[in-house]
Amino acid sequence: MRYIDYMQLNPFQKFGYNFTQFFKKLPGNIARFFKFLGRAIVHFFVAIGKGFAGYGKRFVKGDIFVKLSYLIFGVSNMVRGQIIKGLIFLLTEAAYISFMIFFAWNYISKINVTGTAVVGGQEIQVPHSLGYIAKREVYTADGFPQTEFVDDSMLILLYSVLTIVVTIIFFAIYIANTKSAYKVYEAKKNGETIPGFKAEIKAFFDEKFHITLMSLPCLLIGCFTVLPLIFMILIAFTTYDKSHLPPGNLFQWAGFNNFGQLVNFAGGDAKARTFLDLAGWTIIWAIFATFSNYILGMVVALMINKKGIKLKALWRTLFVVVVAVPQFVSLLLMAQILAENGGALNQLIEMITGSHTPIKFLNGTALSARITVIIVNIWVGIPYTILITSGILMNIPADLYESATIDGAGPVKSFTKITLPYMLFVTTPYLITSFIGNINNFNVIYLLTGGGPSNPDYYNAGYTDILVTWLFNLTMGEKQDYKLAAAIGILVFIVCATLSLITFNMTKSAKDEEAFS
Amino acid sequence: MKKIVALVLAAMMLVAAFASCGEQGGSGSSSGSNGGGSSSFENAGKGFDANVADADFGSESGAKLKVWGPDAYIDLLTKQCDAFKEKYADKKITIEVVPQSEDTAATMMQTDAKAGADVFGFASDQFSNLINAGILSPINAKYAADIEATNNKASVDISKAMNNSTGKDALYAYPETGNGYFLVYDKSVVSDEDAASFEAILEACKKNDKKFIMDVGNGYYACMFVFTGGLRLEGLDKDNKQKFNDYDEDEVAASMKAFSKLMHDYKGTFMSDAVTAIPSGFTSTSTRPTKVGAGIDGNWDTAGISKALGKNFGAAKLPTINIDGKDTQIYSMYGYKMIGVNANSKYPRTAQILGYYLASEECQKQRAEELGWSPTNNAVVESDVVKNDVAISALIAQSEFSIPQANVGPIWDPFKSLGNKLLADDTDPETFDFAGLLENVIKNING
Amino acid sequence: MIKSYKLRRGLANTFIYIILALLGLIWISPLAYLIIQSFSADPEAIPQTLLPASFGFDNYTKLFTETSSLNFPRWYLNTFIIACFSCVISTISVLMVAYAFSRLRFKSRKKFINVGMILGMFPGFMTMIAIYYLLKAMQILDLKGIFGIPGFDGPILSLIICYSSGAGLGFQISKGFFDTIPRALDEAATIDGATRNQIFWKIILPMSKPIVVYTVLTSFIGPWTDFILAKIIAGDKVANYTVAIGLQKMIDVDHKNQWFKRFLAGSVLVAVPVTALFLKMQNYYVEGVTAGGVKG
Repeated sequence: MRYIDYMQLNPFQKFGYNFTQFFKKLPGNIARFFKFLGRAIVHFFVAIGKGFAGYGKRFVKGDIFVKLSYLIFGVSNMVRGQIIKGLIFLLTEAAYISFMIFFAWNYISKINVTGTAVVGGQEIQVPHSLGYIAKREVYTADGFPQTEFVDDSMLILLYSVLTIVVTIIFFAIYIANTKSAYKVYEAKKNGETIPGFKAEIKAFFDEKFHITLMSLPCLLIGCFTVLPLIFMILIAFTTYDKSHLPPGNLFQWAGFNNFGQLVNFAGGDAKARTFLDLAGWTIIWAIFATFSNYILGMVVALMINKKGIKLKALWRTLFVVVVAVPQFVSLLLMAQILAENGGALNQLIEMITGSHTPIKFLNGTALSARITVIIVNIWVGIPYTILITSGILMNIPADLYESATIDGAGPVKSFTKITLPYMLFVTTPYLITSFIGNINNFNVIYLLTGGGPSNPDYYNAGYTDILVTWLFNLTMGEKQDYKLAAAIGILVFIVCATLSLITFNMTKSAKDEEAFS
Repeated sequence: MKKIVALVLAAMMLVAAFASCGEQGGSGSSSGSNGGGSSSFENAGKGFDANVADADFGSESGAKLKVWGPDAYIDLLTKQCDAFKEKYADKKITIEVVPQSEDTAATMMQTDAKAGADVFGFASDQFSNLINAGILSPINAKYAADIEATNNKASVDISKAMNNSTGKDALYAYPETGNGYFLVYDKSVVSDEDAASFEAILEACKKNDKKFIMDVGNGYYACMFVFTGGLRLEGLDKDNKQKFNDYDEDEVAASMKAFSKLMHDYKGTFMSDAVTAIPSGFTSTSTRPTKVGAGIDGNWDTAGISKALGKNFGAAKLPTINIDGKDTQIYSMYGYKMIGVNANSKYPRTAQILGYYLASEECQKQRAEELGWSPTNNAVVESDVVKNDVAISALIAQSEFSIPQANVGPIWDPFKSLGNKLLADDTDPETFDFAGLLENVIKNING
Repeated sequence: MIKSYKLRRGLANTFIYIILALLGLIWISPLAYLIIQSFSADPEAIPQTLLPASFGFDNYTKLFTETSSLNFPRWYLNTFIIACFSCVISTISVLMVAYAFSRLRFKSRKKFINVGMILGMFPGFMTMIAIYYLLKAMQILDLKGIFGIPGFDGPILSLIICYSSGAGLGFQISKGFFDTIPRALDEAATIDGATRNQIFWKIILPMSKPIVVYTVLTSFIGPWTDFILAKIIAGDKVANYTVAIGLQKMIDVDHKNQWFKRFLAGSVLVAVPVTALFLKMQNYYVEGVTAGGVKG
């Protein structure tokens, strides 16, 4: 459609057009995403290649101090007057070396060795272990046992990840050091003035301000989000579970075994079946939870904001209070209210109808429990939608509604034909976030039903369990199947990440970032 | 000159110290066979005081220990730890007592054993996990022999595991108390005679418009549905899989059917709820809609129940249930609480001795008297404290018809779903495939 | 005709009033139940009837006087401290990241944005154990009385670090908000010789009240609701628990029979300040989230 044709549509049709276009473009965008992913990987390696080329070139071209800086950090800077900067480089090197010698080497050297397990007095060699031996048990002369713990596989893995991350950062500093060494050498040769320490610091508050702003958050995120994440991803490739518990036992590398179990649909494995079923319910749950909240929340918001309705603040407050009460309090309370025996709702029903058979809201059939969690989720979620959509609803151009009324559209029709498409269009980012939030909505399921009613056919899961609560049960529950939980986590992550990257980069907000500039 | 002599002397002392250290280690590994409890200890059976010698503390003086116990026990535990400190005042022991319920104790130990308690109470179903994680220290053979001689066999047996470095069984925890459930009832509703049969109990409750409560949705209680049919747990194999006896599937299915039938026949009387609902259910106030006539509860709740019921308080072993025309005794799970010694303890000797003290006759008797905890020590079992306590007597009577809960695999969730399935409204006991359900549950335990 | 139109509108409005009143009742009644039962003075441990027969402040006073096994006031204070610190640090860090992404142009900015967006989507409870051991390796966990303040122990500092460290990932909404502030303002300031540092503090921040309030609110609420990570970090150091762990403890098997009503009272005490704060600030919250989180 040409631009001129688009302009001639009435506003009504424009939205319809945009709306369908969004979904038409979706497959293309998915393809583009993977193409982009491939390109990014290629770029990455090209950049590394280029980096090495530059690294060599600087070494050849530089003088003796530049060359020395390749071994002893900061020499070139110090010789040419940048004492403090040079010292910082040198200190980094010293710190890294002592970190490696006194801490890291003890762990990273044991990351993949042949370990020894003692079973029934016999020593067995186990290849691909993290660590040599877990513990030794000896007895003193008077019969007191003394246990000496040697290698802890989990700590070996964790601290090895730490070491690798530190090494990568160190390597980046090393490259920066060689660059800086060469830069001052060139500047000196060309007779330019070399900026002092103060001048360099000043740059961090202007042209390099982003480094100042980002470094602390990045450090914290790197340490407490990225590092544990890598650790957990690696767990999925080990045998870490109930029978391989550190510190008493070592665990080993297992390759893709755990993923194999999860997707072994043909083999009749309970794990694969549970995974498939729960993945299905997770998607259904996320769709229902997201859209029920969204649409119903918008309807309530429209009612509150309708012209001529008084006490708007009161109505809004009635709903919004639910947002303010911490979720685990309101959900535990809800679980109590819906309980079969002595729950408040059942008491109320008994008072009204006089029936003595309580309704099993949460522990009846699979269907009733699932409907209950979706309804409770509406109770929890609608207030958020009211908060978010109220402002935008006011911004829908009034002439849209007027033209619709002239065309004879009733309130329902103008909702489905104007409000909904408009809102969908404007709030896509919010919708995506809440969809992904619902895929990972641990609280509602865990605190309400705990996954129940239980299903004897599933591997440690119930009918209302979604993947993330199953993952929690496997980690913190009696199965202690850490490796499987990590593998599930990775699969869920891949789905969520792909979904959000594609859709977010499709939305207008990502493209029109500079709209206001 | 003097200086040189002093230096040489100091050096010699240092060498001697190192040598003795080395010797200790060396002799240690050679006498490793001491770990398997042999019964050649002359003081075995004579109790704590006869077995703990001053030398047992070794060089540990000024030991700092941390002890975990559940909330209900915390006051008494503190008192007992104080008594222990007093007993060995010259050792200058300090003990920090921290409340920690038995089920979380094991989990927290596995998160970080080094930060955990030196001596801690835990439930026996966690025993195999703690053994797997290598957290429990084996018990000194001398104490183990005495424990074996003074405590009932079942409690000692489940505290044993194979010591991997010797290849023999060794004691890895001190038995603390027996822990199980039995029938509690209101004598004005259920007569002592009725209390012998499940059908009669339900009938009596129904007639008086009272409820019968047990927690079907909890593996600890739900396992009775299969145990009564002859299924038994027989520990874990070397791959940590749950082993079962050679049970007859039809008999177990028949037992499941009988229970399921009662649940459905007495709908409105038979109520599944957490055991916490039972003690309050016996209290009769005008506002309470749910009134309880009988229930299946454990000794941790009996103090509250007997207070509520007064002279009408009744406790007995579990009743019989009619399976295919035959009255069959209901079998239950019988758990234990144990006292473990952390293998990471900085003061392993003092920790062992404290654990031993807490498992001794003296401490078990205090727990029986003040908390109503059922003892494992034979002398306390025989004492008047136990004989006069209806609840503990009921528990001990039930222990004959029970499966000890030790070295169990992940059975709780599968049994829980089994229980829920028997109770479910859409399960028709006449047509339901109980054998199929059983097969699924067994498969999931080892899945 | 006009009259009937008015009548129709009046009827429609009445209908809406009825629905709103009904829905409002449904939404508020669980919370009303919570508050009413928290004042119950009935002998039953767990409420057996919809409305209690007798009322009193017993549950509240017991919460503050019987502190030997579950020390609610101490945990309340802990949580308050953690919430205050972590909301300050979180807010600063979110605003810094969001400003950098919105206003500054640098290499790999887009890549950072994308990575930042997906990092938070990893459902991992295993990562908590990793975090625990990292903090332990840094020797933070066992500290006692940091800065000489009694009670300000390692776990509390650790939780502050944990809650505020991930905050930078929540830049999305703030960035959206900053994107709406015209860039002409920056440019004018740059011509006047202002550095980017000065622009951030003197121009952008004063205009960002809604988003600051939004960030403060969300990061203040966080610590009151987390009961999993806090439990792992605090371990057996009961004195360093937060209210969320405490409230959960009150209704576990060991305590429910004695503590259920005190759990209700405690919940009210947690909910009241947060709710009050929220209602007071909700207009800013709405402004921040609508400007930043959604736009065409």
